[in-house]
Amino acid sequence: MAEALPDERAFIAELIGDQPGAWDVAGEIPVELLHKLGAKGILCAEVRSAYGGLGASSRENGELTAYVGSLCGSVRSVMTSQGIAAWTIQRLGDRQQRQRYLADLTSGQLAAVAFSEPEAGSDLSAMRTQIRRGGDSVVLDGEKMWVTGALYADLLLVLGQQDDGAAFVVVPVNAPGVHLERVVNPLGCRAAGHAHVRLDHVRLPASSVLGGGGQSLPLLFTTALSYGRMSVAWGCVGIVRACLIAATSHARHREQSGKPLAQHQLVAAHMATLLIAEHVSTLACEYASQCWESGSPDMIVASVLAKHISAGHAARSAATAVQVLASAGARDDHVVARAYRDAKLMEIIEGSNEICQLILAQHALTVVPDESQ
Amino acid sequence: MTITQTIAPVTSEAVEEALLGFLTERVKAEVAPDQDLFASGLVSSMFAMQLVVHLEESYDIAIIGPELKLDNFRTVQAMTGLVLRLRAAEETAGDG
Repeated sequence: MAEALPDERAFIAELIGDQPGAWDVAGEIPVELLHKLGAKGILCAEVRSAYGGLGASSRENGELTAYVGSLCGSVRSVMTSQGIAAWTIQRLGDRQQRQRYLADLTSGQLAAVAFSEPEAGSDLSAMRTQIRRGGDSVVLDGEKMWVTGALYADLLLVLGQQDDGAAFVVVPVNAPGVHLERVVNPLGCRAAGHAHVRLDHVRLPASSVLGGGGQSLPLLFTTALSYGRMSVAWGCVGIVRACLIAATSHARHREQSGKPLAQHQLVAAHMATLLIAEHVSTLACEYASQCWESGSPDMIVASVLAKHISAGHAARSAATAVQVLASAGARDDHVVARAYRDAKLMEIIEGSNEICQLILAQHALTVVPDESQ
Repeated sequence: MTITQTIAPVTSEAVEEALLGFLTERVKAEVAPDQDLFASGLVSSMFAMQLVVHLEESYDIAIIGPELKLDNFRTVQAMTGLVLRLRAAEETAGDG
């Protein structure tokens, strides 16, 4: 495995060290640490150097995301949020917005992206957040749920409805009318700073609306989510790798009935399963990154495929690793226990298993030739 | 993208023909230039995003900001108009 961005990896390794277990238990990452990662461009590594970013390819950023994901699911979640924000700004923002906000996001400011609402998850038509224009300002009202990284964020990218379509608006967290409420005791990624966000008549300059707004809600959603799916998919590869390492290492050294666990055939089967999971999820992500880099229209479906494959493997691999480590891994701060809880969330966010299946089913029915015709 | 690519011919007829070919191949159905792709159920918003990426890559254009509305992708004619308009803007601005 060729290692992309070696200096950044070393920086991450030193900064994160052995703290993720403690962060998970405390439900918090020291925010200065996230600012440091952000200032190195690590949290949104695909931003081009012209905007102050690392200019990483999709695959390089993917491997970096997997690396962070193997260490800490919470930091990786913050990385996913920052990456979605940067990608969305690059995709939708006008020249000035790109220059301003991408410079912010590569110099230490943190961003979170607000999609879901109490009534609107995958059903976009139920989205209620309103962006109303008034002269050279806009006013936002609405409620967003489970915004990853919001507790650490300086900026929120808020998706909402307008009279003539939809838009993303860049909202400073300290703007009057922005209220955050911490999500208490999340199942996984416990230190990722999840919050519910209430927007109460938040007035901002019209220049905060990316690309002037008036865009298609489904297209905005798909644009932002495509990056999110790539990031979650690669992050899940990291979860699988962490589980593979923890399980093989335990099975080599822990002895029962006079021989290492790995020599007990039922345990050995778990080793094979974990290896397969690592291989398959990596290949699915590499294929999606290749589509992404070549600008292939297949990148949209490939990102859904990669996300679905990797999230499933992460969830099963984590369960397998907990089984292999047994009591040695059965405490909340252990890497396999965190993987077990974090991976389950990965089967839910950025398109649940079921939503991914619906998209893939529709794709199958569209592209596979009809033999009866 | 800095690599010089072979850009498909950019006349109205050529863009329309290439798009009809792309759609026929992808959705496995004959498509008329003025057919509403969304109303006829041939195209989902997920596929519309694939169209965005396809047009950008084939014609070296960036479909961003306010251009990202479904009406621009509703028919082959609308997409053809979008491509020609963005190509023309690109040539006058000389802006990458």
